[in-house]
Amino acid sequence: MTDHRIILLCVIPLIAGLISIALINRKALSRLVGVASFAMMLGLSLSLVLKIAGAEDDASSILVSQMGGWSAPFGISVVFDSLSGILICAAAAVGLGAYVHSFSVLDPRTERRYFHPLMQLLMLGVNLSFMTGDLFNLFVAFEIMLMASYALLTIGGSVQQLRQAYKYILLNILASTIFLMAAGMVYGMFGTLNIADLARIVAEIEADPSRDLPAGFNALAVLFLLVFGLKGAFFPLWFWLPDTYYTIPISIAGLFGGLLTKVGVYTVARLFPLIFASDGTSTISDGVMLGGTSTIIQTILIVSAAFTMFLAVLGAVSQHHVRRILSVHVISQVGYMVFGIAVMTGNALAGCAFYMIQHMVVKCALFLCCGVMEKHAGTDDLDKLGGLLKRDWFLGVLFFIAAMSLVGLPPLSGFFGKMVIIREGFAEDMWYLGIIGLVTGAITLLSMLKIWSYGYWNPDIAPTTAKPDKVKATSKPAYLAISALVICALFLGLGAEAVYKVANRAGAQLENPEHYITAVLGEDAYAEVDRLIAQREAEPSLVGDAELTLAAPEPEVSP
Amino acid sequence: MTFVIAICVAVTFAVSIYLMLGRELKSVAMGVFLLGHAANMSIIAMSGSPVMTPDEQSLDAEAPVHLTAVDSPQMKDPPVLAERYTDDTPLAQMVDPLPQALILTAIVISFGVMAFLLTLLVVTNRKTRTIDVAELAEEARKQ
Repeated sequence: MTDHRIILLCVIPLIAGLISIALINRKALSRLVGVASFAMMLGLSLSLVLKIAGAEDDASSILVSQMGGWSAPFGISVVFDSLSGILICAAAAVGLGAYVHSFSVLDPRTERRYFHPLMQLLMLGVNLSFMTGDLFNLFVAFEIMLMASYALLTIGGSVQQLRQAYKYILLNILASTIFLMAAGMVYGMFGTLNIADLARIVAEIEADPSRDLPAGFNALAVLFLLVFGLKGAFFPLWFWLPDTYYTIPISIAGLFGGLLTKVGVYTVARLFPLIFASDGTSTISDGVMLGGTSTIIQTILIVSAAFTMFLAVLGAVSQHHVRRILSVHVISQVGYMVFGIAVMTGNALAGCAFYMIQHMVVKCALFLCCGVMEKHAGTDDLDKLGGLLKRDWFLGVLFFIAAMSLVGLPPLSGFFGKMVIIREGFAEDMWYLGIIGLVTGAITLLSMLKIWSYGYWNPDIAPTTAKPDKVKATSKPAYLAISALVICALFLGLGAEAVYKVANRAGAQLENPEHYITAVLGEDAYAEVDRLIAQREAEPSLVGDAELTLAAPEPEVSP
Repeated sequence: MTFVIAICVAVTFAVSIYLMLGRELKSVAMGVFLLGHAANMSIIAMSGSPVMTPDEQSLDAEAPVHLTAVDSPQMKDPPVLAERYTDDTPLAQMVDPLPQALILTAIVISFGVMAFLLTLLVVTNRKTRTIDVAELAEEARKQ
């Protein structure tokens, strides 16, 4: 269904960013423009999500806009489906929270260094990455987002920040270069860059027993996994994250921890179940990939998910600074999302989508709490913290709810995400991942309790000059932001059923490419695949032959 | 032609990785710059060899007069144009324009990234009086 309003989600932050460049020396005005822009994004994306949630069938719940009126495989398509929708909603909410929080913690001199425009341009890149239907445009969106993130990372320019920034920037430039080459390879192999068109071509090749996917297809998939894994901080590629998030202003750390890794996870969730996780021989029935055929990519995802979850949570337990614990936890939680993607059933992908949005909100809230804790104590070292509950019980309550949501105690939001993902894991015979997920959850509880008991319950008041009343008086925007995010998290937990309606549809759309393809390319784009599948079902002999050739070599090997 | 470009890509990549592993941030920045060029050349190589110009065709006596993607298996169809291929249109002489559009965009982006990186280098030098990776780490540890 065509709806051109969706591109406004990119236009609003662009215009707001440009306006706030002009207003750089007027603090109040640029804050007003920023808040207005975030509020508009949030309102618009919520109304669009409600619209597609109310749509009757899956097909009409995908909103598409073809840029410049160029029809689909040639122009750039912008697609707003259920997954993009809920992620953009969550991104706008998290962005607004971190932005309002920054009013109370950010150094005024730092704020004047183009903080406001950079936030808006970061949101532009994030929203465009969530919505674009074109691989090269995805590269451009990534670059917009990364450029803003480089600048936000070095804002203020302390020596520590500069040192860590080089690591982040160089790794991301390397990843972007690989992404660019991989996009070129996709074009060389398939002659298209449109994601829907690519999914159509791959589905046609899979449905047609006489054709094979091009040589090097798996290599291509691994290149993409490398790129997105680096951005999403998957197992062997996560080393850059904890150091980087440790040095930047805490509001920005909250935004990065909530948003940036999710963009990498989102692209994997978008591209891999549809396109790259197939080896061209998997069984197709009614256009849905049957579970059980584990491909190379799926194996890599499974291994990566297991190590990401488990090693990162061990890393978090060993840390003794609040910021570091939270940063390393970002990685561990990404592991659950990769778990959901690796299982690759509709329900698991729905769980992954739900877990992504709840993690954005909860993780950002925790980072923002950490900001106020630092204001109280002047440090985030757990050895020097203490007695925060006595000083500020309200912050304690907020932190506790957010931390328990992260751990996933029912009825809080993390529980519903983890439950669905782990249950699907067991249902698909990936019990090892399920067990690792459960153990990781328990260790997460341990590390959150560590912050709680050292920081809040510890009776010793830390030697600090800050008076509690003064801190509270200067942190009003921060409390507002954290409370709003915690209320969002509570809603995600208590109203999980309503959210899962949209998330389930997102999972179904990811699992079955038909609706995405027809929504972008037109009604009859999937007809060829359907015809091939019908043809194959009518001639079972071909499938039988394939099985015979697979089974034949065995007797020769066994003696 | 593709083979020559492939070798160029490989050499450029090797040089750029060597530079990026250097201790001095200046050489790292130069490595990043080269990396972008290597990626762009690899897109050219992967998007198929360019169709020969009529002059080259006359030099190559073996080649058929109208060399199109259909005639020559080592050439790729430009997908945007493929359906309109006929021997007597100028389209038969054209290279697929899309990879070049991609490269143009990529060049502009890498230009921006490079500008940022060089600015960062200047700021680092002003703040720490060094652009050596090890000395920067030392400086950061002191604070």
